[in-house]
Amino acid sequence: MTNEGRNFYQEFEVFSSKTDGGQVQHQFSLLAPNEEIALVMAQENFMRREPAADIWVVKRSHVRKMTQEEKESLQRLDNKEYRTTKGYGYLRKKWREYEQNILDEKEIMSWGEDKQK
Amino acid sequence: MSMTLSYDRLSEEEKHRRFLDRIEKGEKIEADDWMPDDYRQTLIKLISMHGISEIMGALPEKEWVPKAPSLRRKLGIMAKVQDEMGHGQLLLRVAEDLMKPYGKTREEIMQDLFRGDLKFHNVFHMPAPTWGDAGLIGWLVDGAAIITQTNMLKASYGPYARALKRICAEEVFHAQHGEAIILALAEGTDAQRAMIQDAIDRWWESLLMFFGPATSTTTGTSKQDITIKYKIRTKTNEQLRQDFLDKYIPRVLSLGLTIPDETLRYDKTEEKWVYKQPDWSEFKNIVRNNGPKSKDRLNLRINAYENNAWVREALSPDEAVV
Amino acid sequence: MKSPQEVNADPAYKQALTELLYQLADDDFVLAFRGSEWLGLAPHIEEDVAFSSINQDTMGHAAMYYQLLEDLGEGKADDLAHGRKAFERKNAILLEEVNGPGHYLKEPYYDWAFAVVRHYFYAQAKKVKIDSLKNSSYEPLAQAAVKINMELYYHLLHWKTWFTQLASAKGEAPERMKKAVVKVCQDFAGVLTLGPKADEIAGFHLIEDENQLKQRWVNEMEKVFSPSGLQLPEVEMVRGDGRNGIHTTDLDTALETLSEVYRQDPAASW
Repeated sequence: MTNEGRNFYQEFEVFSSKTDGGQVQHQFSLLAPNEEIALVMAQENFMRREPAADIWVVKRSHVRKMTQEEKESLQRLDNKEYRTTKGYGYLRKKWREYEQNILDEKEIMSWGEDKQK
Repeated sequence: MSMTLSYDRLSEEEKHRRFLDRIEKGEKIEADDWMPDDYRQTLIKLISMHGISEIMGALPEKEWVPKAPSLRRKLGIMAKVQDEMGHGQLLLRVAEDLMKPYGKTREEIMQDLFRGDLKFHNVFHMPAPTWGDAGLIGWLVDGAAIITQTNMLKASYGPYARALKRICAEEVFHAQHGEAIILALAEGTDAQRAMIQDAIDRWWESLLMFFGPATSTTTGTSKQDITIKYKIRTKTNEQLRQDFLDKYIPRVLSLGLTIPDETLRYDKTEEKWVYKQPDWSEFKNIVRNNGPKSKDRLNLRINAYENNAWVREALSPDEAVV
Repeated sequence: MKSPQEVNADPAYKQALTELLYQLADDDFVLAFRGSEWLGLAPHIEEDVAFSSINQDTMGHAAMYYQLLEDLGEGKADDLAHGRKAFERKNAILLEEVNGPGHYLKEPYYDWAFAVVRHYFYAQAKKVKIDSLKNSSYEPLAQAAVKINMELYYHLLHWKTWFTQLASAKGEAPERMKKAVVKVCQDFAGVLTLGPKADEIAGFHLIEDENQLKQRWVNEMEKVFSPSGLQLPEVEMVRGDGRNGIHTTDLDTALETLSEVYRQDPAASW
């Protein structure tokens, strides 16, 4: 054989979600010759004792990771309250003067629910 | 993409200083991060030995998988030995990523093992002639392994710490699986009780050896200083051995079993166990693949690997698929 | 039939039911035993882990069938699994066959092609039977079949993946697979048959008629064989019908190993 079986050991990253529609999380990596074999190895290698509702396998070379230098680009100053509700907390007091409640996250996220009588 | 290559421009000394800083702060080092050579080498040596020991560790128990005495025990020991292979998988993946810069893969790990360059743990060179040994391995050998592995759960190397977290979670099952076998035997017939006592007598010295020599003067080499310096682990070999004795001696004695060391005692003023030293020259001999079962187990592994080479060749893509 | 009590009141029904249960239990048990001998010896570490899960599932299914027999008063499940003599066993001869030359602890020249083909063919046959058993006239068996069915999807996917990939791979693999297919087919009729009480078993609607089951299995296999240009040979029973208690020395040595500890004291608690 050309490579004496060495290329059998291709690297795959394994991801899974625990519940239907749940977030997909990285689990671990395994070696397999192709993605079909990788897929049939994945659950038993990493999720023998936990539920899995979906599994993804990705060739590692298809994952563009950050280098250590690039990770430095992820740093942020802690001065961005204007992006979050934290920067608008004073509205609660303001609205109270008009006898209104603040439309906070809890309130707004509840609007999608069907009203029950 | 243009990036500020600030890290790349640092001198080697500066990188090394920053690396130590990160470890000091409790940050995790990842596979692609800069790391000093001796850190990488130490990890490769430690983790490839740990990984291959799991794979070789499946073999002494393997004998008892088809022989287990009930359906429940057959299922339990299958799952337990499966986990050993699974732990080997996790650890070898971590080691393989560390070896990548040297162009080494799982193939080289296997060849290193077969040539005798990659050692495996002393306990897995020993015979396991009865069902009592199958129970004892789960109880005390895994007990010893839990002591050393939990000591590294906070290892500075992130991938190793993550693998160990998975492994230790499964070790809890292993410990209970071992205890279930042992308690059934301890509460059983005289012949069953004798089976465990024999196993303890057979394994005691190996269990003491499991943690390695107290200092490098005992055997000439010991990696414990460098692993502690780099925060891969926190306790010394002797501290781990004492932890093991603390946890397990009372349990052994509570079952009316004895430990084959008349000199064994707890020194209250020193707060430590005093025990008869195992034969450390024999330890060296064993881990050089001259133990009673070393050759058989290596041959079994070589035989299986080579006998199945056609499968890997058949499915090996001509070009590494990118 | 809803319960063991009802069954015990009808000797003819009970005889057919226990016959079928022994076949199902012994098939799964002995194949899971053969699979467990592979532990640590598979071509690939990741596969070792996956294969072991399938063996655990299969042994778990055997335990469920032995439990149904225990409920019918046949004896304790562990004794049924470990204590019965070879001539009392109802498993197909193909499933007791050794994995290859050698011993599981010494020079095992185990044949991965044979493992893949035997397990793949068996998983498909089991799927066909389980689908039929879901409508069994014995309700506890029908309920067991619904549960067992859940795990068969993975077994089939796993073995089919290995089978199709190796059968169409480069090098010596296709030739090895072809040889394994021929070997497995020589005795595979022994897996598909319901044995000497086949008529009673089908007559009591415990499972469908064996010819129907066989045809369904052939149809499923053809879906994989035809497109790949492979030939599915006629299945035979060259070495005899295990359902009749006819077995090879491979079963004797298997029983010796799997009951070695149990036999030291069958009355003891382990």
